[in-house]
Amino acid sequence: MCGMTFPTDENVLVGLERADDAGVYKVTDDLALIQTVDFFTPIVDDPYWFGQIAAANALSDVYAMGGVPKTAMNLVAFPLKDMDISILRQIIQGGVDKMREAGVVLVGGHSVEDKELKYGLSVTGFIHPDRILTKKNLRAGDRLILTKPLGTGIVNTAIKGGLAPAELIDRVTRLMATLNREAAEVMSRYPVHACTDITGFGLLGHMAEMTTGTPFGLRLNSRAIPILPEAVEYAGMGLVPAGAYKNREFRECMVDFAPSVDRLVQDILFDPQTSGGLLIAVAPDRPDDLVSELKERGVEAAAHIGEVVTAPRERIGVE
Amino acid sequence: MIKEIDCRGLACPAPVLQTKEALEKEHPQVIRVLVDNEASKQNVARFMTSQKLEVSIQQVGSEFHITGTMGDSPVTEAVSEERPKGSQRKIMVMVTHNCMGHGDDELGQKLMVSFLKTLKEMGRELWRLVFVNNGVKLTIGGSEVLPILQEHESVGIHILVCGTCLTHFNLLDRKQVGETTNMLDIVTAMQLADKVITI
Repeated sequence: MCGMTFPTDENVLVGLERADDAGVYKVTDDLALIQTVDFFTPIVDDPYWFGQIAAANALSDVYAMGGVPKTAMNLVAFPLKDMDISILRQIIQGGVDKMREAGVVLVGGHSVEDKELKYGLSVTGFIHPDRILTKKNLRAGDRLILTKPLGTGIVNTAIKGGLAPAELIDRVTRLMATLNREAAEVMSRYPVHACTDITGFGLLGHMAEMTTGTPFGLRLNSRAIPILPEAVEYAGMGLVPAGAYKNREFRECMVDFAPSVDRLVQDILFDPQTSGGLLIAVAPDRPDDLVSELKERGVEAAAHIGEVVTAPRERIGVE
Repeated sequence: MIKEIDCRGLACPAPVLQTKEALEKEHPQVIRVLVDNEASKQNVARFMTSQKLEVSIQQVGSEFHITGTMGDSPVTEAVSEERPKGSQRKIMVMVTHNCMGHGDDELGQKLMVSFLKTLKEMGRELWRLVFVNNGVKLTIGGSEVLPILQEHESVGIHILVCGTCLTHFNLLDRKQVGETTNMLDIVTAMQLADKVITI
């Protein structure tokens, strides 16, 4: 949207120009609204689970800002002529069940007829204006915590190709449908300076966004990064989604890989994620406490994967 | 026989799936796949490499022609249903643990060293050594049997190490011998071997 101008308002705390996970608008000195919208085409065959995943994915942006989602509206595009309406019912049931789990109420929605099925939510949440977590508030020495394993894009490509076993489909589906709520609640009790959720740009793409224009760089320990083991195997077979190559092309100029980092692992660090985990920058003395509390609360994949450095700035070193 | 597949206009993973199907059904000596985007080019080339084909890529305008040629590859061998008389048997040894046998692990580790050392007595019939699960720990830096395995590799024994397992144990970058492999390769190797011995 380069070159366009938009109306502004002094109460907009996080707006378009920040390109953050969600927009934030101040209502009073102790209340701000978080607003976000996300929808996409099916990524799994089961309509009920697709509904859950789409809802978890849309809600995630509110959690990544440190907020609490409150209300949601359905966004539906449905091929009425080619598909039985019962499929739509199952999708929406999945979405509503996920909203219930998140303590969110459905207050409306809109549907259109379309050749291609799409589903998602527009979500509104609350946050205290002083407690907004943006992407770019990194501090030197902050430790980086990731809360879900990477590789869902590659595994979804294998699923699409009919090459993934049922057990794996089930495991990855549940992973994508898992809310980031638990992770966000635990995080709210720690000195966290910045946060984002990992989605289409892949881990390194989102990290590049976090550091661009700041005086900081990041250093990652690739061995500590949680990865779905099957993703390595599928990457080796050429089941890498086009988005991963695009992410790499766009951002590899900011990344320094040590020679020991396997090419397949590099691809997984650029793999676009659906409903991925939170990437949290926490004060240098607390990463171990945060990771162990996350694990205790069922965020099993949580791992300390790197740190914020002052040099080289705006670069990501992967060892 | 050159098999040509036109995957222009197709998005991932379709080109890889079509390549896979053609290789499995027709076993062509040479396969050429036409694609029109970078991701498909890289994925098809990567898939062919994983199937032990020699790969060359030609850019034609905005399209890519990826050509895979069978070398002395397992898939070629699979097509020839009868082996000419006098040719070698192929023995595949699959190592699923870092110890040999159950009971005492200290003893098991000693036995494993001795086993891998003595394997060379199989001579040229020893075709492939495959390491899975805990067995992959034998292939990393610091492993007692690493020099033995490197010696096997230097005389042309094909060593395959399970990538899923290396990742599971966080050892992907510590492997010092053999090729990282996937389940498809392992299953193909089992099918081609005359005898599979599992330890």
